[in-house]
Parts: sequence; structure tokens; C-alpha cells
Amino acid sequence: MSWRQTFLVLKREYITRVKSKGFIWATILVPVGFALLIGVGIFIAVWDSEITYSLGVSDETGQIVSTLQDFDSERYVDYSDLPVDSLRAMVLRDEINGYIIITEENITEDRPLELIYSGSGGMQFLTAVRSDFREAIRQERLVRAEVGEDVRSIFESSVAVESRRLSREGEEREDDTEFFSMVGFFMGIIIFGAIFGYGGYIMRGVIEEKTNRIIEVIASSVRPIELLTGKMAGVGAIAITQFAIWILALTGLTAISGPIAAAFMGDATPPQMPDEMAATEADINTLLNIPTIETSLIVYFIVFFLLGYLLYSSLFAAVGSAADSETDTQQLMLPITAPIMIAYIILFHAMRSPDSTISVVGSLIPFFAPIVMVTRIAITEVPFWQIGLSISLMLLTFVGTMWLSARIYKVGILSYGKTASFKDLFKWIRQ
Amino acid sequence: MKTISVENINKSFGDTHAVRDVSFEVEKGRIFGLLGPNGAGKTTTIRMINYITLPDTGSIRINGISVGQKTQKMIGYMPEERGLYKKMKVGEQLMYLAQLKGLSSEDAREKIRYWLKRFNAYDWHSKVVGELSKGMSQKIQFIATIVHDPEIYIFDEPFSGLDPINSELLKEIIIELKESGKTILFSTHRMEQVEQMCDDICLFNNGKVVLTGNLREIKKNFGKNTVLLEFQGDSKFLDELSEVRINNRSTNFAEIRILDGQDPQEILRKAMQASEIHKFQLVEPSLNEIFISTVGEDNIKKQQEEALKA
Repeated sequence: MSWRQTFLVLKREYITRVKSKGFIWATILVPVGFALLIGVGIFIAVWDSEITYSLGVSDETGQIVSTLQDFDSERYVDYSDLPVDSLRAMVLRDEINGYIIITEENITEDRPLELIYSGSGGMQFLTAVRSDFREAIRQERLVRAEVGEDVRSIFESSVAVESRRLSREGEEREDDTEFFSMVGFFMGIIIFGAIFGYGGYIMRGVIEEKTNRIIEVIASSVRPIELLTGKMAGVGAIAITQFAIWILALTGLTAISGPIAAAFMGDATPPQMPDEMAATEADINTLLNIPTIETSLIVYFIVFFLLGYLLYSSLFAAVGSAADSETDTQQLMLPITAPIMIAYIILFHAMRSPDSTISVVGSLIPFFAPIVMVTRIAITEVPFWQIGLSISLMLLTFVGTMWLSARIYKVGILSYGKTASFKDLFKWIRQ
Repeated sequence: MKTISVENINKSFGDTHAVRDVSFEVEKGRIFGLLGPNGAGKTTTIRMINYITLPDTGSIRINGISVGQKTQKMIGYMPEERGLYKKMKVGEQLMYLAQLKGLSSEDAREKIRYWLKRFNAYDWHSKVVGELSKGMSQKIQFIATIVHDPEIYIFDEPFSGLDPINSELLKEIIIELKESGKTILFSTHRMEQVEQMCDDICLFNNGKVVLTGNLREIKKNFGKNTVLLEFQGDSKFLDELSEVRINNRSTNFAEIRILDGQDPQEILRKAMQASEIHKFQLVEPSLNEIFISTVGEDNIKKQQEEALKA
């Protein structure tokens, strides 16, 4: 293998891409898109107007319904004087969403309540109704038991549990599990997107060379393996460039956002002494309370991203070489998309419980590791042997996928006219 | 030492035996034609000479060296399926291809400038290839093939898809290269197109070499037994001739190959009875005729029928 040829291919891949409008736009638009996505997510969570479902309550004790109305006066309507038939009719006419009949036995004995409803409202509605009734009946029982005020306040008390991490060095640190769960989740998602994104770059590049018919000219100067490695390295260099720009921009933004916020705050108050300004700035930093992301986490992120990229990109190239046009890649893509999608599903699980068996096993399996392991590293203390094992397994698998892809690629780039089937691919591999 | 020597090469793709025990030699400073119908194995052979694919068995040597990365740099190759990177500029593209062939960037720059000027294409240096007309990008393709000044030039079906101007230009280039001592190998299925150009030929059929050697000698061996006839009038007499094969027949022209040594004057006599004769000439058979008589008419018909079925 000649490194000069590989380097020439790398250089071309890098320079033509880095100068392209597509690259510049992607560099700008991807973070904007990502921010928008998060923004929309938050917007939905915060602004989603809850539809109030009215629930008829027929309460023969007369006590529970008033407590319920204290909880939510819109949801619970007192229909104690109406017969059951009328309530049923009202549900059918959609005047109320459902009804519950409370009898004396529900309070004195542990007889379950029955909610009769039209079926709309979903999980959220059911959960709310359950907890409201549980609470209202418990309160009524406490009243009847004539317990004192102090006992009742015991029932109402809720003690907070604050968490602090004890590091290996024996120091206690602020625990930011929530924050790092989000960080880990986003890192996993970014790697997920990057594998698809840059893998797609390579695949389209390979198809382009085939449809342009330049491939045969190139193949008369360069060995297929040199071409493949050069392409992978070139797009890899593009990925590193793009990530470097984003990381620099992000650190730059966080560095200036503090002073800017402070300046805005400072403007609102009359002119101050410089040391007071400094105090305000410090206040804001504690107010925002962003825990620092350790450099080691960023290094792991980059390492796992690159390994994931290497592992998958050669496969994307193989698919590109076997396809005759981009529209024909669908079915050939399946063996690549399936593991990435499984990794994506494990990612959600790993975010909630990073040390469970599935999360640990998932973070060791090479095809899932790039997405799952980073998330785990961000959230929990991953033993070093697991990280080491995961990296070694990925490297080994990379050798395997590269071998496989090179064999497919070698034949694929020179077969025009039809998209290969899986059967053809097996034949090519065995040739 | 031959410039290109191909010895007993075989290549199969699955069940298709594309190239069977092919051997031939190309001498320095000659134009060598690889001729045969589509699917005869020409492109596969050319790809093996270019070290793009490898033969299953047999060996190929260029100037005595087994094909490999080193021999790739000695060859300028223009494949049948031609193309360039559409989004790259002409200059950058030629630079890339020249460097892949081992040129330093200084050398490449100088050569690119020379050839672009030579083809009156220097203004296109900074144009993106996608913006060029088809004829223009064909010229760029020629330059890409010859820019690294190799010893050997291989053109696969060079005239297919070329406009007439570029066809002429390419012929000129080929002749010029030959005059400066370079070796040229090209393949074509349009035999009449290249008859005047080739020094040596190799006829392919069904993956096998059916005839190879010096074109003049081959023709001489076949003898002057072909009649070119130009006439005015009824052409029915042609159908009445026996033991002949009529190629290239039109309303007032026929190329008649005599198969059994009958006297050509006899044919002339019959023709004169039926129509007015404008031209009667006794010549060596055309390459096409040589191919047909070598492979056998029946075989060709069979092949054509199979091709139709497929």
C-alpha cells in the first residue's frame, strides 16, 4: 500500500469538501438545528396546554368531593344528588369525561374505587385521578381517626434527599447526575447522528465516483484499498475539523455569555463600583450553576466518536460501491442501520440506568459501544477495564469490517449497471 | 523485450469465463488494435493490463516487469466509461490525476499548462467540469490520459461517444504519439473505423484470441479476393451469385468476398449484364470480412441469436 497515493486521495477528499458550500452550511446549520430541536422539546414540555377533563363525583359521605375540589376545582364536579343513570348518560353525551361513586365502604374498608369513563385522557389523566383520590381518602381517614395536628403534619411532610458523590480520592463533590445524564444523552445522540452523517458522506462520495465514471481512471492509478482508506481518512479529517469548530465556538460562547449576562444585569442597576460588578458576575455563575465538563469526558467522546466512525464508515463505503445509485441503497443499508438503531434504543435505557446489565453489555458490543459507552462514562463511574475492553473490541471489529468492506469495495466500484444483491456481496467477499 | 506481453491469462466472473487463455505481444512504437464484438473480453483484458483487476492465472508484463503499481505509472489509460469529477475545477482535477500517476506538483503544473494551451483550453483552467460542454470535457479527458507523458497509451473504445471533431483530434494525437515512439493499444468493436491506424491486431471472440499478428501480413495472406462494385440499376444479380459473401450492401454498392477462387471477371460479366458498372476494384478483404471468415459465419449468427434471446 502506497501512503503517497492514500495521502493524495485524502487531500482531495478534504480540500474539495472543506471548500464546498455544503460543508460551510452544515457547520452553521447543524448546531442551529440541534438548538432548535432542544428548544422545541422544551417548548412542548412547558407550553403544552393541559386539557381539563371533568369528572363527575357522586359522594355519599359528602367529605371526599370537597377535598378533591380543593385539589382541582375544574376537574372534579359534585354530582352527589344525581342518580347513576344520569351520570352514565352524561358520559355518553360527552358532558363529562367519566364518573366515580364514593361510598362509605371506600373509606372504612379498603374497597377499590371504580372509575367509569369514556376512555379519553390517557395515562396522565389516570395517574392524576388515582393520586388525587388516594390522597383525599387518606386525609378523610386521618380526620375520622381524630389524630392530632402533629401526626397529620408528619403525613404531609416530605424530606428531601440531596446527593453528593464520594470520589475515589475520598473527597465529596457536588452530584450533578441530572446534568450529566443530559450531557451523556446528547453526546450519544451526537455520535449517533455523526455516524449517519459522515457515513452518508462517504457513501455518496463512492456512488458519485461510480456514476461519474471517473472511478476507472482512478482505479488505473490507485489500488482500491488506498482509495478506500484515503476517502475514510479525508472524511474523518472533515469530521474532526467540523467538531473542532463546534467545540471552539461552544467554549467561546460560554466564556463570553457570563460577562454579557452580567453586563445586562449591571445595566439595570445604577452605575456601580467595579468590585460590585465582579460580585454580580460571580453571582450569575453560581446562579446558572453549570458544572464543569471534565476534559477526560471530551477526550472519551472524541475517541469513541472516531472509533464508531471508523467501524461504520467502511461499511457505508461498501454499500456505496455495491449500489448503482443513491436511491438503490435502501435495502443494502439495513445491516448498518439496524445496529445503530438498537444502540439508539439502548442509549435511552443507559441514560436512566447506566449500570444495568443491558447498559454494560451494550457498551461492550462494538457496534453499540460508540453510542452507549460515552453516555455511561458521562453519567456513572465506568470501571477502566470496561472502557479498555470496549475500545479493544472495537479496534478488533474495525479490522474485520475494513477487511470485509475492502473486498466488497474492490469489486463493487467496477461493476456498473445494477445494484448488487446480498447474494452478490457474499460472492464478492469469497472471491 | 516486448512492451506489453500477455501470457495465457484467464479470468472468470462466477460462471462466465470472460477471458480464456489469452496471449499476445505488443511491440514498442506500434499501434496495436484489440478487435472483436461487444462482450468478447476486450475490456476485461485491458483492465488486467492496467492492474485494475488481476488475472486468475497467467501473467502480464510491461517492459519485462510484472504488472503492479509501478507499471500503472507507465500507462495512460482512457477507459470506455469515461468521466471526471463534476464539481472539481479543470486545473485541480488534472493536477490530482497527474499526481496520482506519480508526477510532482511542479512537473504536473507545467505539463497541464502545456496541454491546455495546445488544445486551446487554457481559459477553462478554473472552470468547474460540470459547466463544460460534452466536447470540452472530452478534451480534458484526453489531457488527463496523456498528461503524465507515459510510454504506453491504452484507449478502450476511444471513438465511442466522441463528436467528429474530437474523433479527428484523437486520431491526430494517436498518430503523433506513435511518431514520437510511444506504444498505443486500443480496443474497438467498429473494425472499419480503425483499419487505417493499426500496425498489429488481435482479434477477440468469446473471450479467446482467434487471430493475432501484423495487419498487412494478415491481409496479404487472405489475398486479393474481394470485389468492390459500384453500379447503377437492378441489384438482383447479387442474389444470384454463388459461393460469395456480400458485405456492406446498399442500393448502388456491394463488397463481395469470393469464397471459392472463382474468377472475379465472371462476377463483373454478370454485373454488366444486369446493370451499369461505375467501379470495379479487386482488393484485400476488410478487417470485418477477415473477422467473419476467421470466426465463421455460422458462429456469428449463433452468437447474434443468443444475444437477441438474452
